[in-house]
Amino acid sequence: MSSKKRPARIEPFRHRVETDPKFFDKSWKKLHDAIREIYNHNASGLSFEELYRTAYNMVLYKHGPKLYENLIETMTGHLQEMRRSIEAAQGGLFLEELQRKWDDHNKALQMIRDVLMYMDRTYIPTHKKTAVFDLGLELWRDNIVRSSNIRVRLLNTLLDLIHSERMGEVINRSLMRSTTKMLMDLGSSVYQDDFERPFLKVSASFYSGESQQFIESCACGEYLKKAQKRLDEEAERVAQYLDAKTDEKITAVVVKEALTNHMQRLFLMEDSGLVNMLVEDKYEDLTMMYNLFQRVPDGHSTIKSVMTSHVKESGRSLVTDPERLKDPVDFVQRLLNEKDKYDNIISISFGNDKSFQNALTSSFEYFINLNNRSPEFISLYVDDKLRKGMKDANEEDVETVLDKVMMLFRYLQEKDLFEKYYKQHLAKRLLSGRAASDDSERSMLVKLKTECGYQFTSKLEGMFTDLKTSQDTTQGFYGASSSDAGDAPLISVQILTTGSWPTQPCSTCNLPPEILSVSEKFRAYYLGTHNGRRLTWQTNMGTADIKVTFGNGSKHELNVSTYQMCVLMLFNSADCLTYNEIEQATAIPPVDLKRCLQSLALVKGKNVLRKEPMSRDISPNDNFYVNDKFTSKLFKVKIGTVAVQKESEPEKMETRHRVEEDRKPQIEAAIVRIMKARRVLDHNSIVTEVTKQLQPRFLPNPVVIKKRIESLIEREFLERDKTDRKMYRYLA
Amino acid sequence: MRRSSKKSSSSAPAGQTKAVSKEVERIDQLFYTYADSSSGMVDPEGIETLCSHLEVPHTDVRILMLAWKMGCEKQGYITLDEWRSGLKTLRADSISKLKKAFPEMVQEVTRPSNFQDFYPFAFRYCLTEDKKKCIEIPVACELLNLVLSLQFRPQVDKLMDYLKYQNDYKVINMDQWMGFLRFCNEIIFPSLDNYDPDQAWPLILDNFVEWLRANKN
Repeated sequence: MSSKKRPARIEPFRHRVETDPKFFDKSWKKLHDAIREIYNHNASGLSFEELYRTAYNMVLYKHGPKLYENLIETMTGHLQEMRRSIEAAQGGLFLEELQRKWDDHNKALQMIRDVLMYMDRTYIPTHKKTAVFDLGLELWRDNIVRSSNIRVRLLNTLLDLIHSERMGEVINRSLMRSTTKMLMDLGSSVYQDDFERPFLKVSASFYSGESQQFIESCACGEYLKKAQKRLDEEAERVAQYLDAKTDEKITAVVVKEALTNHMQRLFLMEDSGLVNMLVEDKYEDLTMMYNLFQRVPDGHSTIKSVMTSHVKESGRSLVTDPERLKDPVDFVQRLLNEKDKYDNIISISFGNDKSFQNALTSSFEYFINLNNRSPEFISLYVDDKLRKGMKDANEEDVETVLDKVMMLFRYLQEKDLFEKYYKQHLAKRLLSGRAASDDSERSMLVKLKTECGYQFTSKLEGMFTDLKTSQDTTQGFYGASSSDAGDAPLISVQILTTGSWPTQPCSTCNLPPEILSVSEKFRAYYLGTHNGRRLTWQTNMGTADIKVTFGNGSKHELNVSTYQMCVLMLFNSADCLTYNEIEQATAIPPVDLKRCLQSLALVKGKNVLRKEPMSRDISPNDNFYVNDKFTSKLFKVKIGTVAVQKESEPEKMETRHRVEEDRKPQIEAAIVRIMKARRVLDHNSIVTEVTKQLQPRFLPNPVVIKKRIESLIEREFLERDKTDRKMYRYLA
Repeated sequence: MRRSSKKSSSSAPAGQTKAVSKEVERIDQLFYTYADSSSGMVDPEGIETLCSHLEVPHTDVRILMLAWKMGCEKQGYITLDEWRSGLKTLRADSISKLKKAFPEMVQEVTRPSNFQDFYPFAFRYCLTEDKKKCIEIPVACELLNLVLSLQFRPQVDKLMDYLKYQNDYKVINMDQWMGFLRFCNEIIFPSLDNYDPDQAWPLILDNFVEWLRANKN
């Protein structure tokens, strides 16, 4: 017997599956009842483990879809019930009820989610269904928040509360917060669509109305305060109970309605607008305005342009006012004050904003150059500060003032004109011994050198050197000729290098013999050590100290000019002299002689001479006598060396003429330089380049530039290009 | 110009050479009828005579054109060479032929290419001394009238008015002179629409245009 043996097979042990037709219904009932209990706050009696297992099995046995559907149905049912309860709430309790139900729903949802966790993780993702929790939120959204009644009522309630708060009432902020949080939890689009958008719209019309009201009734500063207050309030509102992203949006709304829409009207408000604030230095209001209008499009640029035109206008009226032009020092002081004022405003209220600084600079540049005497006046101001006998002789003060003056100097277009005047004034200061402090003078020079370069100040420095050298030379002279000093008058000589000092036409003058002899001795001494030089006495610039004994016995020492000395010495040999005689004897030019005689005879307290007749004018046959009745409390009497004054009209024309003449070669040099480099160039480009090159010194007139070009063509430095007559060509 | 080259040219037929040399002789002869014996040149007096024979006033522009044709260097004087070259190109060896040649000469000179040369020549011709580079305003006005009024009557009238009126300039230099021609050629008159003072026009013309515009009313 051979029977085939079958190999043993091991088969999986199969449980006997209970195909219980009632399996689903039984399981579902368990869950359905549990959910109901959960919603009824009765969850404590439930077994989480059992419910979880039930749901687990349902999903395992492929009942996922049905479970899901039923879940939706059940929850919807509960939500409908909640809705009715919320709708029934009266007045202020509406939000509270809503909140309460929301909390309940959230708690329930969490538990349900936990129970159905297995479905959440398996069935839902594979079938691309919404997760349980999110489903719950969606259902809440659709059944509660967006149900027709509640939707409208919710929005209106929120907006009404906000409106009340804006009008000053106190509202329940935490309730607001939880409500808006609920909306955010439902999705930012829900928050935006159902609340934020309408909120912004309503706010816009609220602020539009309020601003209109305010602007009719408030001054600018007051209005700005209110606007700031509202902005602060809205920011706080957002922080307290709105979503952070709303901050930017509501701020934009307030800014637009309260500020942007009324910008022009605010700025130009009479008696309180921007111009008024500037004029009266209202720093607080200006700071507020600057800060508020930062957010307004073109806000700052509009402030800047209003400020600029105001500064230009007030500057212009300042420099063109004929009253102001009478006192140059006061004129410049006012300019400095104006600059200080605006510097303060910019630093205190505008946060030192650079673009405002620049706007101020260009305004000053504009109006300072409207008056072509500005260079002269600024030099006179500096002269005033650097002279002896100044009230605020404190060196630090002077330094500060000079720095400020330098700022004004930078604004000048005609710096070369300033240079001419500064030289003149400096010369007078140095020669009359009127410079208060050598240090201050040098400090000013350094500042000018830093600004304009070495060329500007080299001649000025030469003036200082000359004086120092002259001191040494005079000492040397007396050291060498100590023997025959005798009773010759003592001289102190200042030797000025021509070219460093402003040119003065030297006129005739017959020196008294005593003076003549000692000055010739000096000349001989000097030329002995400096061969090949030429010395010319500048009789219109010297001073003399004379001891006088008057007929009434009073003795005085008079400090006079050289001319005055020549006149007075004549009276050592004559009691009475006519004008003609004096003119003949001294050979001083009539204009100067008349002025000199006037200062000796017609100035009260200084009338060392007597004139007959006593009239102001001097005619050729007027008689002059020594005034024997002269008295003065002081032993040393100074007779009028006049301080520099602003020039008379003819002098001014003369100086300007000289400056224009000096400019011609500078312009030509610039043209030649440019053409040498560029070879061929058109007219406009030449003008632009020349202007650029000469900008540190002066602003050349295009007509003058053209004239110089034509002169250069005539002298064959340049020619017109033969093919293109718009161009010029450099001729080597 | 070398006469000898013409004569020794082997390609010239004998007959023509003879005719040419005859012409040259007549030209020379004509020259000597006007020339001053001591200087060997036609002088101002001689020119006046020439003009009366030509029946043209000596201030007429055609005499100036003739001077240009001849290449005269000095105003009021004609050298033999200058005479020869001028008459030769005009193909004239007698007064009547010369007179007949005038209309064509005028046409020729007014052609733009020749006029560009004639115009500065007129200026140089008026410079009285060697070193001088400018002519006085009254002379300039007259010259403008002579040279440009045929073509540009309205501009010349206004320009003459202005030159007499202004006192920035007492003389006119070559650059300004050339500027006048350029002005007449390029600028629409009397509207002056296309005048741009930022271009490289001489300053005197900028001022002229400004004056014109100011006086339009």
